[in-house]
Amino acid sequence: MNLNLDAKKGMTYDAIVVGSGISGGWAAKELTEKGLKVLMLERGPDLKHVTDYPTAMKDPWEFPHRGKIELWAAEEYWANARSGGKPGEDQRHMFTKDVDVPYIEKRPYDWIRGYHLGGRSIMWGRQSYRLNERDFTANLEDGHGADWPIRYKDIAPWYSYVEKFAGVSGNKDGLAVLPDGDFVPPMQMNSIELHAKAGIEKNFKGRHLVIGRPAILSVAQKIHTDGGRASCQFRNLCVRGCPFGAYFSTQSSTLPAAMKTGRLTIITDKIAYQVIFDDQKNKAVGVRVIDQNTKQHQEYYAKIIFLNASTMNTAWIMMQSTSKRFQNGLGNDSDQLGRNLMDHHLGAGASGEYDGLKDMYYYGRRGNGIYIPRFANWGDDKRKDFVRGFGYQGRGARQDWVAGASKDGFGPEFKDSLTKPGRWEFNIGGFGETLPDPTNRMRLSDKKDKWGLPIIEFDAGWGENTIGMRKAMMNDAAEMLEAAGLKNVKTRNDNDKNQGIGIHEMGAARMGRDPKTSVLNANNQVWGAKNVFVTDGAAMVSSSCVNPSLTYMALTARAADFAVKELKRMNL
Amino acid sequence: MNRREAILQVALTMGSALSAPSMAAIVAGYQPHRATKRVPSAFALKPKQVVLLDEITEVIMPTTSTPGAKAAKVGETIQLILKDCYKPDQQEHFMKGLDAVEAESQKTHSKSFVELPIDQKTAILKQFEQLAKTEAKQQPKGQEKLAKNPETTLGAFAPAGSDQTEAKLVDAETGAVVKDEKKNAPLIPFFKLVKELTVLGYFSSEIGCTQALEYVKIPGRYEGVVKLKEGQKAWAT
Repeated sequence: MNLNLDAKKGMTYDAIVVGSGISGGWAAKELTEKGLKVLMLERGPDLKHVTDYPTAMKDPWEFPHRGKIELWAAEEYWANARSGGKPGEDQRHMFTKDVDVPYIEKRPYDWIRGYHLGGRSIMWGRQSYRLNERDFTANLEDGHGADWPIRYKDIAPWYSYVEKFAGVSGNKDGLAVLPDGDFVPPMQMNSIELHAKAGIEKNFKGRHLVIGRPAILSVAQKIHTDGGRASCQFRNLCVRGCPFGAYFSTQSSTLPAAMKTGRLTIITDKIAYQVIFDDQKNKAVGVRVIDQNTKQHQEYYAKIIFLNASTMNTAWIMMQSTSKRFQNGLGNDSDQLGRNLMDHHLGAGASGEYDGLKDMYYYGRRGNGIYIPRFANWGDDKRKDFVRGFGYQGRGARQDWVAGASKDGFGPEFKDSLTKPGRWEFNIGGFGETLPDPTNRMRLSDKKDKWGLPIIEFDAGWGENTIGMRKAMMNDAAEMLEAAGLKNVKTRNDNDKNQGIGIHEMGAARMGRDPKTSVLNANNQVWGAKNVFVTDGAAMVSSSCVNPSLTYMALTARAADFAVKELKRMNL
Repeated sequence: MNRREAILQVALTMGSALSAPSMAAIVAGYQPHRATKRVPSAFALKPKQVVLLDEITEVIMPTTSTPGAKAAKVGETIQLILKDCYKPDQQEHFMKGLDAVEAESQKTHSKSFVELPIDQKTAILKQFEQLAKTEAKQQPKGQEKLAKNPETTLGAFAPAGSDQTEAKLVDAETGAVVKDEKKNAPLIPFFKLVKELTVLGYFSSEIGCTQALEYVKIPGRYEGVVKLKEGQKAWAT
C-alpha cells in the first residue's frame, strides 16, 4: 500500500504539459517560472539543440543527391512530397515519416508532422504576425463560426510579452490591419522589393508592402544572449535547425528558460492519449501514455494539465478521454470537438521579371521575405465574391543557374551566362483566411495504429468562399506587379492542394462564450474540466489570414498566468 | 576556408553563445537521428556508357576559365541521382539516349563520340537538343495531367472516400500522388534530363559553388542593396 502511494507520488507533478512544440514550450517556461513543478511529455524522441542538427553546417555538395528526392523518400513521406515539402536528405530527418503514423483521408488532407522534442518549432516558417482588432470580431460581424470570447485588447499585452522573449524582427509600419509589436530591428529589402513597394503604394491606396516579421534575431538583445542565443548569420538554412539559436524554437528559447528553473522534467517517447477525468472530483487528475518503443502504459498525475499536442493530436487526445461525465470526449458537450478545421489556402499569386536595376545585387541569404498585408474587405475595398481576406508573402531575387537550366543551349557561353547574376524577378503568393465550418472535421476511425490507438480520419475541404478569394489573390497580385513595371507577369492559381497545405491547422477545440457552441472558455479552460487548458492551434475560433504561431504563444502565456493565479486561489 | 575553420571563426565572433562541446560535435559531423536503410536500386550504367556520359557532361559544362563537369565529377552525381530518384522506365529511357548518341556518332563519323573533336560533339548534341524539344511537344502538359487527377483537385470538391493508410506513390518530380503507375509523368527526353542533371550536378558541386560561382558559407549579415562589382559572379546559394 505504502509502496503504491510512493510510486504514485513519484509520478505526480503540479502541472503536466502534453507536447513540446511552440505552445508546449511556452507552457513549460511560464508554469515553471511561476514556481510549478512541471512534467513535459513528448511522443517522439529527444532532439538536442545544436548536436541533433546533423545537416546544419553542411555545404551543398555534401548531399549526394543534391536536393533530388529519392523514390523511397517520396513514398514514405508521401504527404510531405504531395504538399510540395521536399523530403530531401538535408531536412527530412526533422519530419515524421507519413507511413509510420498513418491517417485516413475521407477527403484529402496534408498533415505534416514533427514528432520529436521541439515539434514543429524546429521547422516552422517563423513568420510572426499579430491578429488585428477586426480578426477577433470577424465571426460576430459576418456570422460564420462562434464569436471569439476575447478581443484584441485582451491579448495585446501578451503579444508584447512573447515578442520580447521570442525575438520578432520587424518594422513598425503603423498599420491597423497588421498591428505593430515589440520588435528587434527589421531586415532590409533588396532593390527589386523596394522598387515594387514604391510602385504598389503609389498606385493602390490602402495597399502596403512591408518587410516580413520572422521570429529571427536580426540583432540579439541581452534577453536573448543571456539565454544562449546569437544573432542571425543569414545563411537561410533555418529548417535544418539553427546552431546559433537565432530563430525561435523550443530548443533555442523556451526550453533553456524552463530548465533554468530546475522545476522541469522532460519525458520523451511517451504518447499521451488520454486525460484521466475523475467523475467524483469533477476534474482531471492526470494523463495516460504509452511508450512508443516498449508499448508500456503509464499514468502521470497533476493538478493542472496543458494540452499542447498540436491541433489534431490535442483533439485526438480529448476524443479518447471519455468518462461518465464526458461520454463523447472531454469537454465535448457542444459536439464541436474535432470540427471547424481551418488552415490557410495558398498557391495563388503572380510572378514577374524586371529588366532594370542591372547594377544592383545583395549580400547574404535572408530567411525572410516581404509581406503585403490584407487589403480586400478592409476599409473601402469591399468585395462581392467573398468575405474576409488574404495577405501575400513574397520575395525578389536575381535569377541564378536554376532558371538558366531550362533555357536553350550548352557549352562555354551557356556556362558563362549561368555564372552571372540574371534578371531580377519578383514573386508573391497569397495566404487566404478560411472560414470555420463544422462539417470540416476529424474523427477517430475504427482503425488502430501500431500502438492500438485510433487512427485519425480527416474530412475537410476549403469551402466555397475560397473560390472567389483565390481569383482575387491571383488577379490582384498580377495587377500590382504590372503597376510596379514588371514584365512577363505570370499568374497562378493551383487548385490542386488540400487543406493542411499551409501547415496552419486550427480550430478543432475552439474557444467561445458558450459551452453549447464551444469547447474552451475565454481562458482556454475546457468547459466542464476547468483544470485542463488547451492553448495550441485547436483553440482558434477564426483563422485570420496571418501566420498563427505568435497567437498560440500569446494565448499560452496568458492562460498559464491565469492558471497559476487560479491554482493559488484554490479554484482548480 | 574549410568547415572547421568557418565554424570556429563564427564561434569566436559570437563569444560564448555556443559551448565548446556543441561546436566540436558539429565539426565532427553527425548522423541524422532517424537514419533509414534501404535496398539499393540495381541500376548501373555499362562502363562505356559511363565514359560517354562524362564526355557529354563536359560538352554541356566545359572547362573554361574554371574547371568543367569532368573535374567536378558530375557524371558520378548523375548516376547516383538516376539510380535513386528515377523509376526504371526513365532509367532505361536515359540509357537508350546514351546509346543513340553513340550510334549517331558511329553513323555520321564512323567514330566513337568520345573520340570526336569538340565541334562534331557539339553538332551531335545540338541534334539531340532539337529531338528533345520535338519529343516534349508530343507529350501532354503536366498541368493537364494534374487537373484530371481526382486526388489533386480542390479539396472541397474532391470525391469523398479516398481511404489511404498505405504508402502512396508520389511522382518524385512533381510531388503529385499517382494511384496508377502508368499515369505517371511522361518520360523526360534524354537531352533535357542529361542537361538538367549536368547543370544541377555542376553548380551544386564544390568546384561549381566555389570556383564557377561565389560561395559564402556564413555571410554573417544581410545587405539588401549592394552595387554589383565589375565581373562579379552570382552567389552559389
